[in-house]
Amino acid sequence: MTAIANKRFIPTGGIPARWLIAAVVDAALLWLIAHLIDDGNYPLALILLVLVGIVTVSFGFERLRAYRWLSVGLCMTVLFVLYPILYTFYLSTTNNGQGHILTKQQAIDFLERAQYVPETGQTYAWTAYESEDGSIRLWLTAADGSTYVTRIGEETQPGVAGEDGVGELDDAGTPVTIDGATRLERRSLLTRLDALNDLSFGLPPNAIQITSMNAAATTVQRYRYDAARDVMLDHQTGIEYKPVTGTFVAETGEELRPGFFVEIGARNFERFLASSALRGPLATIITWNFVYAILSVLFSFALGLFIAVLFDNLPGKRIIRMLLIIPYPIPALVSILIWRNLLNPDFGALVKLTQDLFGSSPRWLTDPTATRIAIIMINVWLSYPYFYIVSSGALQAIPSEMLDAASVDGANVFQKFRSITLPLLLMIVSPVLVASFAFNFNNFNLIYIFNSGNPPIAGSPIPAGHTDILISFVYRLGFDNGLADYGLAAAISIVLFAFVAVITWVQFRYTRVFEDKS
Amino acid sequence: MANYMNPARTRRAAPSALPLTMKQRKYIGYAVRYAIAVVLIIFAFIPVVWVLSASFNTSGSLTSPQLIPRNPSLANYQNLIQNQYYPFMRWMGNSFVIASISTVLSVLSTTVAAFALSRFRFYGRETLMRAILLVNIFPGVLSIIALYSIVQQLGNHVSFLGLNSHATLILIYTSGAMSINVFLVKGYLDSIPRELDESALVDGATHGQVFRMITLPLAKPILITIAVLTFMGIYGDFVLPRVLLQSSDKLTIMVGLYLFQSADYAQNWGVFTAGAVVAALPILVAYLLLQKYIIGGLTSGAVKL
Repeated sequence: MTAIANKRFIPTGGIPARWLIAAVVDAALLWLIAHLIDDGNYPLALILLVLVGIVTVSFGFERLRAYRWLSVGLCMTVLFVLYPILYTFYLSTTNNGQGHILTKQQAIDFLERAQYVPETGQTYAWTAYESEDGSIRLWLTAADGSTYVTRIGEETQPGVAGEDGVGELDDAGTPVTIDGATRLERRSLLTRLDALNDLSFGLPPNAIQITSMNAAATTVQRYRYDAARDVMLDHQTGIEYKPVTGTFVAETGEELRPGFFVEIGARNFERFLASSALRGPLATIITWNFVYAILSVLFSFALGLFIAVLFDNLPGKRIIRMLLIIPYPIPALVSILIWRNLLNPDFGALVKLTQDLFGSSPRWLTDPTATRIAIIMINVWLSYPYFYIVSSGALQAIPSEMLDAASVDGANVFQKFRSITLPLLLMIVSPVLVASFAFNFNNFNLIYIFNSGNPPIAGSPIPAGHTDILISFVYRLGFDNGLADYGLAAAISIVLFAFVAVITWVQFRYTRVFEDKS
Repeated sequence: MANYMNPARTRRAAPSALPLTMKQRKYIGYAVRYAIAVVLIIFAFIPVVWVLSASFNTSGSLTSPQLIPRNPSLANYQNLIQNQYYPFMRWMGNSFVIASISTVLSVLSTTVAAFALSRFRFYGRETLMRAILLVNIFPGVLSIIALYSIVQQLGNHVSFLGLNSHATLILIYTSGAMSINVFLVKGYLDSIPRELDESALVDGATHGQVFRMITLPLAKPILITIAVLTFMGIYGDFVLPRVLLQSSDKLTIMVGLYLFQSADYAQNWGVFTAGAVVAALPILVAYLLLQKYIIGGLTSGAVKL
């Protein structure tokens, strides 16, 4: 106890420090919340407010000090696990996706930033200056000869030599440098005109844009949103745009980009469950999803168990085990890529080998059935070591007295295995089997990395493949080839979630994680 | 008359012309089992042997599957290191930095949370544990689109929390701390006698000191187990960095390897195999060194990440 009676154990108080931490974290979060409210992103702002609550309460009240220990984990879980789940639920009821990514407020802000050059606007001749950090400023000469300096994000100023960073004037009356930045050669301007055109100098309402090699002009805001009437007005043409399911549309049918996302109720779920065009591909995907998960678990477990039983008391078991577990520590992605190469129809080593031996080889990456067989085989290769380890552990837990008693009664090896070892073992590992099924049901990596879900299903309205499972199909919807149909993808995620939740609920009934051992 | 006493033995030995002794049968059993072991080990090693052999092969021909390359050399590895378009070494560095920091943070917050759940009795404790389990049912891959969108929104205001940022990845990985691993560590801490804490508390220690000086050292085995598994999980993760990272210099080795393989494989297969070996090697070595922790962890229900 001497080590413990050490003086470092004198309590250090620490109340002010604790409050300081809470205050700093809260301040940072509140700053972010204010910005998110500006964006109209209320859900994310709300969840950050929950974090503020967790931090304040757990650090502020001594009675809740246990929550202080949990606060980091809780905040992280709320923000990056719980909120994405809730947000996925929300997304599934919206048309969020290609062209409808922004909130309405963000879309309005974006459109209101657009400028145009009015016919009556002031025009200038311009010279551009680029500083070493790449920022650009302009020297403007109006028709009446008055000169100005204009920078990005700053008010335009009258241009006088020697003042406000303006350097000496040359013979033509333009400064040699501004803010130390040097003049851009006219030659190099040609190639950069597009980029320069996009820059907006000065501050609205007197923003200035380059319109051609020879002219810059005062621009004005093109669109203005009328909140009271919920319409977007185009000042240049006078046309009014009304919002229709997430897009501002004119009476002529003309649409403004970008759109924004709106709630569309259960329409995504209807598409998933009832769309006749999707029905064929989805049936293929769902059937394969089940077959794939069930067979993977079944074969991997069978092989793992077989190995565990067969080598249980073999001399040299340790070395055999070390060698047989080798697929487990190799990162799955690396293994899958290697298998993909071994089975490549053009130059895969295994393909060549089978061709040499048997004269032909299955078309592993292009034939649906062959690809499916390959995927299950690879999954067995990837996961049997896990089941081997788990089964070995479970075998140790089976009381040897039972087996001895059976031997005395004249049972042979197979009888003992069938009537004692297997039932007991299944009881021990069944939670693992269920968990493994749930995992494989959503085993995105193998499907996506091996063949991206291909070969493709011909005639599917949304690209889908013969080896796609639901989760890889969700990924396609979200991130492939600019499909970006987040709403539908979220709806399918929710269905998958419900399915996995049911499985896991069943599993929890057999495990006892809540028990307090002591 | 001995056979009379043992009917089982009589029955089995009778049809055989050459009755085998127990010892002979045992050796035949061994032989069969070793033979099966050899077949299985070959199955386990096919990809490993191929990738090793191909990575040292510089003949540039993929068509001849020779086991031992004719002119073995390190050229593929040289090309790998010097490759201008695919900065493998950079990617390895990124992976290590991300996985190391995330692992430390994640294991730390797992342990802190487990300590609270094991040592304190507070209002809402049971509910909280149920909630943690419930929330973790949701497979991470499913919320990838929501995560992408959240990160995008946050990044508009705080760029280091946005897309293409390692800090974002690390934060998200750290949020994995409140997973099933919390219960593993809690179970382990439950088995450390509370009397140790109590005597220190009586001596005037704070809970923080008890945690640092008593709990952490005693919980080392379980911490190593979850640290190794967490590191392996994050190092090998693919989806999250694939979706959240964009510029080539920020990628992790897994995403880089995948992109390299899908883009440039036909020309650079040798470099790919060298890359695969380099990417897998650190984890393999760590595994061999820490095998007992990993296997112990798996049998008690730990999961990667």
